[in-house]
Amino acid sequence: MKIEDFLREVTAIPGVTGNEGAAADYIADAFRPYADEVRVTPLNCVVARQKGEGPKVLICAHLDEIGMMVSRIEEDGSLRLQSVGGVDPRVLPGMRVRVYAREGMLLGVVGATPPHLLKEADRKNNYNWDTLFVDLGMDAEQVRQKVRLGDTVCFEARYVEMKNDRVATKTADDRACVAIMLEAARRLRQMAHQADLYFVATCQEEIGSYGALISGFALEPDMGVAFDVCHAETPGAPRNSTSKITSLVTSKGPFLNSFLVKKLEETAKENGIELQFAVDPRYTSTDADELSVTRAGVPTVLLSLPIKYMHTNVETLDMHALKEGGRLLAHYLAAIQGSWEDELWN
Amino acid sequence: MELKTLCELNGASGQEGAVRKAVLEAARPLCDDVHIDRMGNVIAFKKGRTGNRHILFSAHMDEVGFIILDATDDGLLIFRPVGGIDPRVTVSKYVLAGEKKLKGVIGALAIHLQTAEDRKRVLGYDNLYIDIGAKTKEEALADCPPGSYAYFDSAYQPFGDGCVVSKALDDRVGCYNLLRLLEGEYDADITCAFVTQEEVGLRGATGAAFAAQADTVIVLEGTTAGDMGAVEKARRVCEPGLGVVVSFMDNASIANRSLYQELLALAERKAVPCQIKRGSTGGNDAGAYQRSKAGVRTCVLSVPCRYIHGPSSVVKLSDVEAQYALAKAYAESAK
Repeated sequence: MKIEDFLREVTAIPGVTGNEGAAADYIADAFRPYADEVRVTPLNCVVARQKGEGPKVLICAHLDEIGMMVSRIEEDGSLRLQSVGGVDPRVLPGMRVRVYAREGMLLGVVGATPPHLLKEADRKNNYNWDTLFVDLGMDAEQVRQKVRLGDTVCFEARYVEMKNDRVATKTADDRACVAIMLEAARRLRQMAHQADLYFVATCQEEIGSYGALISGFALEPDMGVAFDVCHAETPGAPRNSTSKITSLVTSKGPFLNSFLVKKLEETAKENGIELQFAVDPRYTSTDADELSVTRAGVPTVLLSLPIKYMHTNVETLDMHALKEGGRLLAHYLAAIQGSWEDELWN
Repeated sequence: MELKTLCELNGASGQEGAVRKAVLEAARPLCDDVHIDRMGNVIAFKKGRTGNRHILFSAHMDEVGFIILDATDDGLLIFRPVGGIDPRVTVSKYVLAGEKKLKGVIGALAIHLQTAEDRKRVLGYDNLYIDIGAKTKEEALADCPPGSYAYFDSAYQPFGDGCVVSKALDDRVGCYNLLRLLEGEYDADITCAFVTQEEVGLRGATGAAFAAQADTVIVLEGTTAGDMGAVEKARRVCEPGLGVVVSFMDNASIANRSLYQELLALAERKAVPCQIKRGSTGGNDAGAYQRSKAGVRTCVLSVPCRYIHGPSSVVKLSDVEAQYALAKAYAESAK
């Protein structure tokens, strides 16, 4: 399967945190041609193994996405929402959302009290969860028959191909990184590797990296490679928090094993792959934070794909950076030797 | 012509060409004379059996959109709205930019990078950009030079219980019903004016009104319905599903009293679902017609439209039908 096709299809699937079943099943199927064993765990993590005799390595990127839940049905049939993960309500007015109700998906439109009905002071403020609602285009009685509190609501999903191989889509965070893992797994099928590789698409990252926590416990890896998105440069973004959109980034800092980072840098150089560096003095706010202290500890490295407009329906990435990321990961995993374990703290 | 087809054409004020072409072709076989006037309006005339009366029905072809001013050094397009678009509905939306209709998005600073102050503050057009994937200013401006237009990339979709969501329902619903009116046969002479530049100040209608010979003008519009989201009943000026909206006044005109009463009586007689607009917000081409020449009597018949001037406005199709039914009943009643 072409990586573009995988990304297009996988980002369209709803998989709001806690409700990842459909996304997990799709991802498990995608890994099957390249893996010795694939399974979906009870909490909807996907584990795909490529067997090896060497160190056990857990590579993870999360499959869950931010979204919303129905928290109230108003008398007029409009739905109030609550955020699951960090949704920016500024992106919602005028968005078409998908409400996953008992009998199937319902199209809804996010509306807000129109400006002429707002108090003067509120016109200068953004809409928020109290003023935004979902309109299902039906009367209250019909709404109450179909929708229940707690039903999942998902962003509009389109795959927008722009100039210069840039793509805007929902859930690039973090299924673009799942795509990088898949691309690496595909390449590794044709490469020799010592390491015993476990590619894990984790659940429940957006509310606290719980998928990484339980997967790390279950698999007891010797090393970890966590994958997530980071911020690409956009107007108004602080320089220290952003990277160029054109290549992967690895982070340096106390949570990340400096030997593994050095090896990654060497791999990138040897294979002529662009790699940027970022500094995380403490939390990385990715699966790396939990994974690195699972059980007795897992020396971990973090790779990030820079995207613009994170946590929106138009997360924008560079397809070239994604593909090169797959190449980098494949070479890195193939390079891992048993001897690395002795050098981790040198 | 389908409402879907009309809504999915792009035609912001000053760039109505695609809509004009479609309307012109659809109108030609239905009327006696059709021409494009000096303001780019399409004027379709249909001779009546007696010609004792002359009614002009008007709807505007233009929609709100965006116009490109410049680009940043890293290739993002700087833009402004054409017509009134609340910047709050533009964040994170899909657009088509320039003559090549390049796909793009309107991005904004990620939530993680915002300060508490940022989260409250409305992003204005000084802080919003269209991203088409260009890497440099030169690349961006080669595709979208200053003065190019951009549009919400927004499909027409049926949903819910007889509703549709689309861009440009204001006022392609009116254009759609004008074309349907031209299919009928009447005693009165009928002019259907598909006008330009309503969204930037009723400019097309001003020209059309100057040349018009009609004794009565009826404007077919889409009007704001702010009825959802627990808005108090007293503040809902109209509601989808309750029929065509008849206005006694708005910010641009006051309906001719006898015409207004005649339309309400006609709706009752013909059992056309109808609601009186319970407020005087907004303004439209009726203002231009009413004060043209020595004055013309006007009234506005609207389709209630939620989330107007955005990528996802919503109407109920039964209201579009009611607008048509009442306009047609009036045309047929004019002897």
